[in-house]
Amino acid sequence: METVTLADAQPIRRQPWYRPFLKSEALTGYFLISPAVFLMLVLLAYPFVLAVWISLTDRVLGEPGKFVWFSNFYKLIQDPIFRNTVWNSFVYTFATVFLKMLLGVILALLLNQEIPYRNLIRGAILLPWIVPTSLSVLTWLWMFDSLFSVVNYILLGIGLISKKIQWLGSPSWAMVSVIIVNTWRGLPFFAVSFLAGLMTIPRELYEAAEVDGAKRFRQFWHITVPLLQPVIAVVVLFSTIWTFADFQIVYILTHGGPLNATQIFATLAYDVALVAGRIGEGSAISLFLFPALLVVIILMLKYLRRE
Amino acid sequence: MRYRKTARQDTGRTMSRRKFLGVTAGATAALSFGTFIRSGLGAARINVLTWSNTLNAMDDTLRAQAKQYTQEKGVEVVFEFVNQTDLPTKTAAAVESGSGDIVTTWSDGAHLHDKALINVGDIAEPLGKQLNGWTNIAKDICIVNKVWKAVPWGIIPIAVVYRTDWAKEAGYDKFPDTYDEMLVLCRKMKEKGHNSGFALGRAIGDANQSHYPMLWAHGGAECTADGKKVAINSPGTAKAVDYVRRLFKEGQSEDVFSWDDSSNNRAFLAGELACTGNAASIYWAEQKNAPQLREVTNHALWPKGPAGRFGYSTSMGLGIYRFSKFQKECKEFLTWLMQPKQYSAWIGVGEGQIAGLANFYENDPVWKKDAKLEVIREIPKYVRMPGYPGAPTRHAAESMVKYVIVNMFARACKGMSTPDTIKQAEAELKDIYAKA
Repeated sequence: METVTLADAQPIRRQPWYRPFLKSEALTGYFLISPAVFLMLVLLAYPFVLAVWISLTDRVLGEPGKFVWFSNFYKLIQDPIFRNTVWNSFVYTFATVFLKMLLGVILALLLNQEIPYRNLIRGAILLPWIVPTSLSVLTWLWMFDSLFSVVNYILLGIGLISKKIQWLGSPSWAMVSVIIVNTWRGLPFFAVSFLAGLMTIPRELYEAAEVDGAKRFRQFWHITVPLLQPVIAVVVLFSTIWTFADFQIVYILTHGGPLNATQIFATLAYDVALVAGRIGEGSAISLFLFPALLVVIILMLKYLRRE
Repeated sequence: MRYRKTARQDTGRTMSRRKFLGVTAGATAALSFGTFIRSGLGAARINVLTWSNTLNAMDDTLRAQAKQYTQEKGVEVVFEFVNQTDLPTKTAAAVESGSGDIVTTWSDGAHLHDKALINVGDIAEPLGKQLNGWTNIAKDICIVNKVWKAVPWGIIPIAVVYRTDWAKEAGYDKFPDTYDEMLVLCRKMKEKGHNSGFALGRAIGDANQSHYPMLWAHGGAECTADGKKVAINSPGTAKAVDYVRRLFKEGQSEDVFSWDDSSNNRAFLAGELACTGNAASIYWAEQKNAPQLREVTNHALWPKGPAGRFGYSTSMGLGIYRFSKFQKECKEFLTWLMQPKQYSAWIGVGEGQIAGLANFYENDPVWKKDAKLEVIREIPKYVRMPGYPGAPTRHAAESMVKYVIVNMFARACKGMSTPDTIKQAEAELKDIYAKA
């Protein structure tokens, strides 16, 4: 009887035509990453370069438009509604990122304790992050409704307020509302990332500190904070970029109103580019912050490398 | 290639990775080739991009008519219904990518996209003759630089919707015909605890559609008749601002600042609203959700001001893209669709949701169905677009989406003086009108 060994079970082939190319390691490397580079160029670089190009033209929908250098940007700086938008975007982004960071650290510390049903709670915390934003924001829209707001109903009921709050109707409350919703939505991402960071901090450090007589707060300040810093930096960086580019929450809740009090880059760009048809100017609005964000990203990444 | 027997090949039926890839690629190629052949060489196929009506029956009628047309003429017509708020995005994508045949030009759509649309004067003019002429608004929205860029289709008439029982309580058997009288009525109703409400928040429909008519009726306008110069700073505008401030203080509540387009519908259906501006949608929703309110709900024309009676309702045309391969077929289809047999059937199921833009349809049987809807047939005569007395240009569209006029009124209601709020609106408008 013929014995078939594993080595025998290989097909005998001639060398394929591309074999010589694979000899050099560097060439092989480039060859293997080429699909990824191709995808990056097509899906990321092309739309970006196109957006930059469009922002330098006076293009309106369906017409090619002329090259106008930086005239769109110059006009934007003079537009009071746009200046207001810049201010709102900064308030919105910094307030929400700060709140998410603060509450995220607190939540992560709590979740890191020995509590019953810990894993279940950790999972449940993620819910706001998992539910599609547009759906959850619609629920918030109902909760902030001028007539039927359940939030007002409860606050009136327990006597905290005497007159209903115009959550989406008064300029300052509208900003508060969108900040609350964005914080609610983004908090799980912060908490879970921080929690992952906390879990990598070795227990021994805390034990040693305790032996040396350090109280909880000093342990937190001298062990937790420094070791969590890289995670915080990355999460804050991502969140800042996402929040500056946020659209859904504001669009659904206030559509930028009332009196442009919550108008941010993305909502204004949408109205100008797609509804009013001025895509040149719309692109300029959405690209306005790009240089500033680029500086933030470079600084943050440099800091991370040093770490 | 020679293979020795391997353990894997013994099992026989498994498909190798290479074979799998080959089969998949082949199937994809065959499928796309099929589609290519069908679209390139087959019979004409017309795509109509339009909005999905809140009343499904109206869309069903259009679908059935498209099917009937396909059977009769052998030209396939497909209606693509998208959400009203997605229509600008979808239109933008279609124009930029050069795909599609017929598009619904939403209010200023024909003016915004005129370069992408062909001249349809050869069907719009005979249709106008056949249907006793077009209304002013039909010409305003469809004629761009003296060329017909769309066939007038219909409007979603916005009327005053009010509670007859509370009006009666305040001493009014029918809705007042002037803005001054309306103010008195709203004040009296509020004194009895019944607020009126005209959205001053981000309600792209209701807020604009309630307040532009108030501006025009008091003699104000955002620009001159040639549409080139900003003309908001006028005694007429000041009168309108003062009026809206009084109407808010004496007849409404703070709620209106946060309203979106559905807020007044909800408040009315909850029995919390005495008077508002809306389409007939509140009235039908009552049939199902609040039949007791239907008895005491009625519609009225927007009142007259010192400068006359005005309205602003979303008005639609149907345009044909210049890149459509089936322009002739599109024109034939649109002519067929606008014939009384098809058109009456369509607005007939709408019960006041849509009114015709041709004078002929003012006497359509639909207006005899329900006495409370009859007044709506007159609305098209008074409707104008942002930009009036000029054309609904790109500038007017931008000032509308930026809520320049609504915010001018809202600031006054929040306490800003009349000259200051007008000055701010003027600065914003000058910025917009300075653009090419």
